[in-house]
Amino acid sequence: MSALFRPRSNTIFKLVLLLLVGGVLGTLGGFMVWARVPAGTGQQDPPLQPVQFDHRHHISDDGIDCRYCHTSVETGSSAGIPSTALCMNCHAQIWNKSPRLEPVRASYFTGQPIPWVRVHRLPDFVYFNHAIHVKKGVGCETCHGRVDQMPLMEQVEPLTMSWCLDCHRNPALNLRPLDQITAMGWTPQGDPASLAQDLMKRHDVHTRTSCTTCHR
Amino acid sequence: MPPLGSGAKLPIYGQPAAPDRAPADGRHPWRSLRVLGAGDGPSREFDEGAAEPPAGFSRRTFLQILGASTALASLQACRPARQKIVPYVRPPEKALVPGTPVHYATAVSLGGHATGLLVTSHDGRPIKVEGNPDHPASRGATGSLELAMLLDLYDPRRERGFRRGQAPLAYRSLLRELTALAASHLADGGSRLRFLTAATGSPLLQDLRRRILARFPQARFHAYESLTEDSAREGSRLAFGRVLAVRHTIAQARVILALDSDFLAVGPEALRLAREFAGRREPGPEMSRLYVAEAQHSVTGACADHRLRMKSSEVLGFARAVAARLASRHGHSQLAPMGATPSGSPAPGDVRIAKESAAVADDLARSSGRSVVMAGSRQPPAVHALAHAINAALGNAGKTVEYAAPAFDDTTGPASLQPLARDLAGGKVDTLVVTAHNPVYSAPADVDLGTLLGRAPNTIYLGYRDDETAARCSWVLAAPHPFETWGDARAHDGTVSIVQPLIQPLFESIPEVELLAAFLDLADQGAHRILQDYWRGRAKGPDFERQWEGWLARGVVPDTAIAAEAAAPHFVEIAAAVKAAPQPPAGLEMTFVPDYKLHDGRFAENAWLQELPHPVSKMTWDNAAYVSPATARKIGVEDGARVELRLAGRKVEAAVWIMPGQADDVVSLPLGYGRRRAGPVGSSVGFDAGPLRASDAPWFAHGLAVAPLGGAKHVFALTQEHFSMEGRDLALAFDAKAWSPEKVEHLKGPSPTMQEPVDYQNQQYKWGMAIDLSKCIGCAACATACQAENNIPVVGKEQVLRSREMNWMRVDRYFSGPPEDPQVIAQPVMCQHCEAAPCEYVCPVNATVHSDEGLNEMVYNRCVGTRYCSNNCPYKVRRFNFLNYRGDMSPTEKMAMNPDVTVRTRGVMEKCTYCVQRIERARIETRLEGRAIRDGEFTTACAQACPANAIVFGNLNDPRSQVSKLHQDERRYDLLHDNGTRPRTAYLARVRNPNPELS
Repeated sequence: MSALFRPRSNTIFKLVLLLLVGGVLGTLGGFMVWARVPAGTGQQDPPLQPVQFDHRHHISDDGIDCRYCHTSVETGSSAGIPSTALCMNCHAQIWNKSPRLEPVRASYFTGQPIPWVRVHRLPDFVYFNHAIHVKKGVGCETCHGRVDQMPLMEQVEPLTMSWCLDCHRNPALNLRPLDQITAMGWTPQGDPASLAQDLMKRHDVHTRTSCTTCHR
Repeated sequence: MPPLGSGAKLPIYGQPAAPDRAPADGRHPWRSLRVLGAGDGPSREFDEGAAEPPAGFSRRTFLQILGASTALASLQACRPARQKIVPYVRPPEKALVPGTPVHYATAVSLGGHATGLLVTSHDGRPIKVEGNPDHPASRGATGSLELAMLLDLYDPRRERGFRRGQAPLAYRSLLRELTALAASHLADGGSRLRFLTAATGSPLLQDLRRRILARFPQARFHAYESLTEDSAREGSRLAFGRVLAVRHTIAQARVILALDSDFLAVGPEALRLAREFAGRREPGPEMSRLYVAEAQHSVTGACADHRLRMKSSEVLGFARAVAARLASRHGHSQLAPMGATPSGSPAPGDVRIAKESAAVADDLARSSGRSVVMAGSRQPPAVHALAHAINAALGNAGKTVEYAAPAFDDTTGPASLQPLARDLAGGKVDTLVVTAHNPVYSAPADVDLGTLLGRAPNTIYLGYRDDETAARCSWVLAAPHPFETWGDARAHDGTVSIVQPLIQPLFESIPEVELLAAFLDLADQGAHRILQDYWRGRAKGPDFERQWEGWLARGVVPDTAIAAEAAAPHFVEIAAAVKAAPQPPAGLEMTFVPDYKLHDGRFAENAWLQELPHPVSKMTWDNAAYVSPATARKIGVEDGARVELRLAGRKVEAAVWIMPGQADDVVSLPLGYGRRRAGPVGSSVGFDAGPLRASDAPWFAHGLAVAPLGGAKHVFALTQEHFSMEGRDLALAFDAKAWSPEKVEHLKGPSPTMQEPVDYQNQQYKWGMAIDLSKCIGCAACATACQAENNIPVVGKEQVLRSREMNWMRVDRYFSGPPEDPQVIAQPVMCQHCEAAPCEYVCPVNATVHSDEGLNEMVYNRCVGTRYCSNNCPYKVRRFNFLNYRGDMSPTEKMAMNPDVTVRTRGVMEKCTYCVQRIERARIETRLEGRAIRDGEFTTACAQACPANAIVFGNLNDPRSQVSKLHQDERRYDLLHDNGTRPRTAYLARVRNPNPELS
C-alpha cells in the first residue's frame, strides 16, 4: 500500500500556507502601499475643470499674485475660490470674446456659479486652516508646488498624515519670510539652517503634534 | 515612581464600595428610591444589556453586512469621488469667508416675552444659539428651550407650503384668496371675523392688530396661551387697581420667599434671576436664603435652603400665616386683616406651617427692604395680591420688586377663549384665523375647540407642524421658523428687539406679519418692508438706516424699556379677596405643571428636548403622574403602575412615578405630553393632562380620584441610576454653620499615583474648568448647549433604557435625607480631563491620548471601539456609538451639524473635549494677531449657556484667570480625588444657608 501523501504533498502544503499567509499580508500591504503612492493619493492626476483655467499663464505671464484671487487665504481657514465677478474684473475688458471664457460669461450673466472640481481634498475629520500656515511662513509652493508651471491644477504633494507630520514635527526648513509667501521657486539666500532658526523665532513657530491640532 | 499610599484602597468591581470614611458632609446621598431601598449593594457599572446588539439584528447578520460592505467598498473606486467647489457669482457686500462663523443678534419669544439671542451662522447655516449679553432677559445666558429651537428649524417633517382643504395653494394665489376673503368681511365691519393669536409683545403685530380693527371694527382678537399668566395679571389688578407687570431684582435680596414660584427655570425673568440668585450663593455674611413653598419638586425647590412642602392650595394659607406673623410681631399692622394664624389644631401639618411661617416671617422682617416674596403664575390672584401687600409692607417695593406697565395687555387664559367658543358655537363666525400654538391640543377640557372649529366655514391655521389644530382647520399655512423671518419682539421689561432672519425659509411659508397684513391688503409688501415702515415712523433722529443697522447689530433697540412706576397696593381690597378665597378641602389634589422640556407641548417634536433628562426626576421621553412615597403607599401603587385619574367626571390614564419630596396627597402631571398628532418623535409620548384641565381650575384642582388599573407596568427611561460612581464623595453640600474648609481638605492636592506626573506648568495654556455647586441650579441648559455644539446624536427611549444615551454632559442629581422631604443637589459631570487619565493606559490603539497642554484627547479616526477606556473611566463620562445614530440623515438634518466638530459613526467612543474646536479657533485667531488668548475671550458651550455662571473655563497657567482663582478657592475639591487622576475640572462644594430657627 502506497503512502497516503506523496513526498511532493509537503511542498504543495508549504506553498498553500505561504499563499494564504502571504496573500493576507500582501493584500494588507498592498492597501498600505496604495495609500502612499501617487496613484492612490491622487497626485499627478489633474482633473478637467469646467473652464480651461491656466494658472501658468496667469502667474508667469501676467504676474498676478495668488492673493488677488484667493482672497481669504490670510484670514480664513479656506483660501477661497474667486467669484465669477472677480474673473470678470479683467475679462470684461480683455479676452471678452474668447470662446474659452464662454462658461465664465454664462455664469456671470445667468447667475449660475461655476462648479469647479476640487483638487486638494482632506478627509472630513481633518481641520486645516490656511491663514495660520501662511501667517507662520509656510509658502503656497510648499504644499501646492510650482503652480506657475501648471497648465492644469494638480496635486503634487501626497497630503497624507505622515506628510503633514513631517512638517509639524520639524517646521523650520519649510518656512520663508512673509514677503515671499506667494513667491514661486523661492530659495533661501545664505545659510538655510540659520535662516530657518531665525524664522522660527521671528514667526513664533512651534511644533504642533497634538491630535486635536488637526482632528476635532 | 511614587509609591502607592498605604491608605489608598482600590475598589473591586462587583463588591460593595465601602467608603473608608463617612461622606464629608455626614449625609449619605442617594440617587433614587430604588437604590435607597436596596442599600449600597454592588451596583451595575453599566445597565443590563448595555452591550447587547439591538433586537432583530444578530451578531451574525452584522458580520454578514460587514463582509458585504467591505467587499462593496473595495469594489468602488480606490479614491474618493471628486468634490465640487462652488464659489459666489457676485459676492455680497460682506461676503462670507468660508469656514468662518458669523454671529447675528435676534430674539425668540415664549409666551409673548422675548429672549435676546446671538445665533452662530456657519457658511449661511445657523448652527448654534447663544444668549445676547446686551439683552436684559438673557445677559448672555440661554435656556434649554431657546437652544433646542435650532433643531426645529431643520426638522424635515415640519409643515411646508399652503393648502386649502386638500388642495395645495401657491403663495400668490394664497394672497389673492386671503385678500378676497378679507374683502368679503368689509360689508359688515368684520362682525363674523375672529382671530385667535398667541400672546405677543411684538409692537408690529400689535400695530397690525390695531389697523385690522380699524378696518374691521366688529372683528375680535382673542389671545390664548396654555401656560397663561392671567392670575399674575389679575393679582396686580386686585392689588393696584390696574394691570402691572412685576419685575424682580434679587441681586441684593437676602431673603427670598417663593410661593410656588419656579422663578429660576420658568418665566420671562428666569435667566436673569438665575444669574442674580447665583451671584449671592457664595458663603459669607451676604449669602442669600431661599424659601420655596411648593407641591411638586421644581428646579427652584431643589435650590432652596428650606423647601416647604405643601399642596398648591395650601400656599395661600401659608402666605396668610406669614402675613399674620409680620403684622403681630413686626408691626406691619396693614397686613393684619389679610393674615390668618394657622388654626393651631393638633394636625401635624398645621403645627409645621405655624412653625415655618413664623420663622420665614421673622427672617423676611429682619431683611426688610432686602427681601422679596414671589408668587408663581400657577397660584390664584389672591396669592399674587398678598405677595404685593407683603412686599409693600416690608419696603421691598422699588428695591427688590418693581412695577411697570405691561408690554402687552391681553388676557391669555381660558377667560379669553370662552367668548370665542360661545361665538363659534352660536355660528357667529365665518372666518377664524388661528395663529396661537396648537390651541386644539392645549385648550381647556371644557372647551371642545376641535369640534367648534368645524362650525366656522373658513378656519385658517398658521402652524409650524401638522398638529391637532391643523387637522381641524380648513386652511393650513406653514409658518416660518423664528430664524427665518423678520419681526420684532419685546422683553419682559419692554426692551424691543428686532427679529432678523438667519437663513432663507427652508420651505415655503408665510410669516404671521404677512398673514395679518393680507387683511389690510399689504401682504405683498413682505415682512421686511412692513417692519421697516413701522419702525421708520418711530425712530428718533434723522438717519434711520444707520439706526436700524445698529439695532440689528446689538439685538436691542435702545431706550425702549418701560419705566417702573410707583404703585401702592390697596390693602382693604386685597384683604377682602384673600378672605374670600375658599379653604383648601382635604383629599387628593391634581396639579398641572409646565414642563421643563416640552413647555406647553410645542416642543414635543424636538428630539433634543425629549431626550434631555428632566432636571429633577431625570426622566427622558416621558412624563408621569408624580406622587409622594406616602401617597403611593396610600393608593397602593409602585413606580410605573398604570392608574386612572378621575376629576369632575373626566378621566385620563397615566403611569405613576414616586417622587421624593413631592407633597403628600398631590398628583402632578406635567403638561405638553400625550400628543396625538405631533409627528414621529412626539406622538404618543407620555400622558396628556389636558382632559383633566378645566377652565375654572387651570393649575390645580380638588376631588381627584386615583384608581390603579393593574396590568403591565409602564417602563420609564430614567437616567438617574446610569453611570454610577459607586457612592463615593461626589456632590458635596454643607450647611453654612457646619462648613469649614477642612471638610474638603482631604479631597484636593496631590494624591498617590502609579504614574509619574507630567508637569504642564511651562505650557502657555493649561485648560481647566471649575464648577460651583453652590451656584448650579441644575437646569440642564449646559447639556443642551453641549448637544448642539458637539453634534451629539439622539438615541431614543429604547436605547436610553439600555443606558446608551450619548449626552457628553450629564447633570447628576442626588437626594440626601429622608425620602419624604430630601434635600437635592445637582452636579454637572463631563470628562474631567484627568492629567493621569485611566482611560489612556488601556487603549490598545492610542485613540485617547494627552495633548501637550494636558487635554485628554479623543481621536475618532483611530478608535476601534474596544470600550476599554469607558470601562476604566471612574467618572463614567465616555459614550459609545453602539449604533450608527447618524445613519440616514436627510439633507435638511445635515445642515444642523456644526462643521467644526467631526460627526461620529458606529463603533467609535466619544466624550467631552472641553470644546477643543473653540480652543483651537481662539488659538488660531489670536496667533494671527500675534498675542495670547485673554481670559474670558472664549469659553466652552456649557459655560456659555449657564444662566448661573456656575461653570467657568480658562487657563490654569494664568494666575489671574477666573478659573485659577476658583481652583484656589477653599471650597474646591476634586471628584474621586483618591483615585489620583488629578482632574482638570474642580468642583466647589455647595454651601446651604438654612435658617437656624428651622433646623
